[in-house]
Amino acid sequence: MTSTTSTAEPILEVTGLVKHYPLTRGILFKKQIGAVKAVDGVDFTLARGETLGIVGESGCGKSTVAKLLCNLERPTAGSIRFKGEDITKLSGKALKAVRRNIQMVFQDPYTSLNPRMTVGDIIGEPYDIHPEAAPKGDRRRRVQELLDVVGLDPEYVNRYPHQFSGGQRQRIGIARGLALRPEVIVADEPVSALDVSVQAQVINLMDRLQSEFDLSYVFIAHDLSIVRHISDRVGVMYLGRIVEIGRDAEIYDHPTHPYTQALLSAVPVPDPEAREQRERIILSGDVPSPTNIPSGCRFRTRCWKAQERCVREVPALAVPAVFRDTSGPAAHASACHFAEEKQVVPAEDS
Amino acid sequence: MRGADGALLEVRDLKVEFRTRDGVAHAVNGVSYEVDAGETLAVLGESGSGKSVTAQAVMGILDTPPGKVTGGRILFQGRDLLTLKEEERRRIRGAGMAMIFQDALSALNPVISVGDQLGEMFVVHRGMSKKDARGKAVELMERVRIPAAAQRVRDYPHQFSGGMRQRIMIAMALALEPALIIADEPTTALDVTVQAQVMDLLAELQREYHMGLILITHDLGVVADVADRIAVMYAGKIVESAPVRDIYKAPAHPYTRGLLDSIPRLDQKGHQLYAIKGLPPNLMHIPPGCSFHPRCPMARDVCRTDEPPLYEVSGTRGSACHFWRECLDDLDDLDG
Ligand SMILES: Nc1ncnc2c1ncn2[C@@H]1O[C@H](COP(=O)(O)OP(=O)(O)O)[C@@H](O)[C@H]1O
Ligand SMILES: Nc1ncnc2c1ncn2[C@@H]1O[C@H](COP(=O)(O)OP(=O)(O)O)[C@@H](O)[C@H]1O
Ligand code: SF4
Ligand code: SF4
Ligand SMILES: [Mg+2]
Ligand SMILES: [Mg+2]
Repeated sequence: MTSTTSTAEPILEVTGLVKHYPLTRGILFKKQIGAVKAVDGVDFTLARGETLGIVGESGCGKSTVAKLLCNLERPTAGSIRFKGEDITKLSGKALKAVRRNIQMVFQDPYTSLNPRMTVGDIIGEPYDIHPEAAPKGDRRRRVQELLDVVGLDPEYVNRYPHQFSGGQRQRIGIARGLALRPEVIVADEPVSALDVSVQAQVINLMDRLQSEFDLSYVFIAHDLSIVRHISDRVGVMYLGRIVEIGRDAEIYDHPTHPYTQALLSAVPVPDPEAREQRERIILSGDVPSPTNIPSGCRFRTRCWKAQERCVREVPALAVPAVFRDTSGPAAHASACHFAEEKQVVPAEDS
Repeated sequence: MRGADGALLEVRDLKVEFRTRDGVAHAVNGVSYEVDAGETLAVLGESGSGKSVTAQAVMGILDTPPGKVTGGRILFQGRDLLTLKEEERRRIRGAGMAMIFQDALSALNPVISVGDQLGEMFVVHRGMSKKDARGKAVELMERVRIPAAAQRVRDYPHQFSGGMRQRIMIAMALALEPALIIADEPTTALDVTVQAQVMDLLAELQREYHMGLILITHDLGVVADVADRIAVMYAGKIVESAPVRDIYKAPAHPYTRGLLDSIPRLDQKGHQLYAIKGLPPNLMHIPPGCSFHPRCPMARDVCRTDEPPLYEVSGTRGSACHFWRECLDDLDDLDG
């Protein structure tokens, strides 16, 4: 077992996933002058019943990964195996069947719901696309059941989205995601637009639904604290790639990749006493453009440890040689030539 | 500097309403706070609690109408701003106090170079020549550590990254060395690594210039990192006010406590998160008594009828809860 895979049989297996958007110039005669390398070689697995968190700063390719997983975009290269079958090669009926099983919950509960549709129509819409999932006469009852499951009054079916608060709208989005009884839910920043007290309500709901419906989650967020709370394993993305992946304690308490270490050290911790104990790693500069990814290690332009080798050689996402023969928490996949442990999050005190 | 007779800024019982077609929104309902020179006051609260409106009233940039200050006083360096003429207030804005907004891109003028926007402050307020003002602009850009400032002074806002634009906003606010800076969610739109750069810069400059800083945020982590004092707002009121350490150790208001318990921690793998039940009130129909009572796990009959004043918890702390003693004592069992 390497750390990019987990023990149980994977429900999703992503290998070498790439999505490049062509960058063109000219209106009449479009000429490709480059590519936005939004996703540039991503590997991970998701075990049944597990939550894999994906973190990273804006623009690193998280949403693109989500769209690829849900078949809303076609990859440029790579494969996505759902229970062993590569879904990127499917079309027609077979594709439709797989789509039922992988559903997305979007970030913005304000813009992702059609304002002119009733809540009942929004939640029931997946049944129009997949009529085999629920007989027509049964739909209203199912929608009401879903409202109940996510903690909303089933009597609300005829209301419109604007009559709900942000947190309630996110519940509607989740109910819609559950309509087809999927096995995998890909949630792209599902609580980022919500206030903290409401955020907690939605996170707790997702926790409960996971065990109730035996769901596997890919949970995408830029908030590292939330991701730790909900995830079993965590992958850290930078410029279109996962640079470090492992169990939550491996990543948070024993990070070995400099980017993960910097990211964690920058998160403000709501405890004024922890502030003195913490070492902040302040990265210089900005993330490079995904149209122009640095050679070798893509993090090297901001890495305080970068050396000549980092310019020439792409570090692979694997357990670094120094930790390969150890069995401790540092022995997880990290794409760095000079990986070493550094504790940046103060140890738990309570 | 703290004037002989008081703080740098003293807001007393401020009230702001918005009169709209749907009714009157009571956005600010008797807010009082003070900021001293060199001090950082964090104003914390969920969206809609009246943080920005309070700041806009202090700056004199309230959206009027529909907004209107209906009561209270705002004393800045001893003068009541609400009695001053607009021209006088404009002079104070910029030279006396300045504001940093969340969204730098919409706060900066997109068709004027950043150098000209920075320089204009000196031309208008200090009567400098354009050439000298440009030199000042470069100096300021260097102060906020924008790389290659001299080359970039002619660039437009959209040519900078989000973090760099927020530095330019800070430079604008600092230009005339005001005594007070109000930063309204200055890093909310930024990624954590950039957020850390910008907050560090702001804190450093504040120390250096010995400015008063009001930091408006909904992020309890950011507050813990930089603030001296916290004022927690709920439904247009300050429900708790305390030195930062005290509040994190032992909140004296059930709302503050609920907020603290509902955030996941980076250093702790939690189980069930505490969630405050229900939603913040509609500001057109604020519940009678304690406005938090429909959501409060400690509410009793008196809470539904009697509005709690800001009780003095200690010389430096206040809580608008009838049962603040219980809240302080009862550290562990908050029922869900
Ligand atoms: N349809 C598209 N065409 C061109 N570039 C795109 C498209 N979608 C996303 N991108 C670019 O791909 C990169 C990754 O975007 P995204 O996956 O949305 O990142 P994240 O969700 O991590 O913020 C960004 O630089 C973005 O501008
Ligand atoms: N321009 C406006 N017109 C009408 N109502 C407003 C306006 N600005 C603010 N409000 C009211 O004031 C309340 C508090 O707003 P604000 O101070 O912006 O909250 P926050 O704490 O999120 O900064 C809002 O919920 C809204 O009801
Ligand atoms: S491979 Fe080199 S540049 Fe990349 S993270 Fe490791 S030390 Fe830094
Ligand atoms: S006054 Fe009553 S309702 Fe208000 S916070 Fe205190 S206990 Fe809760
Ligand atoms: Mg995204
Ligand atoms: Mg605001």
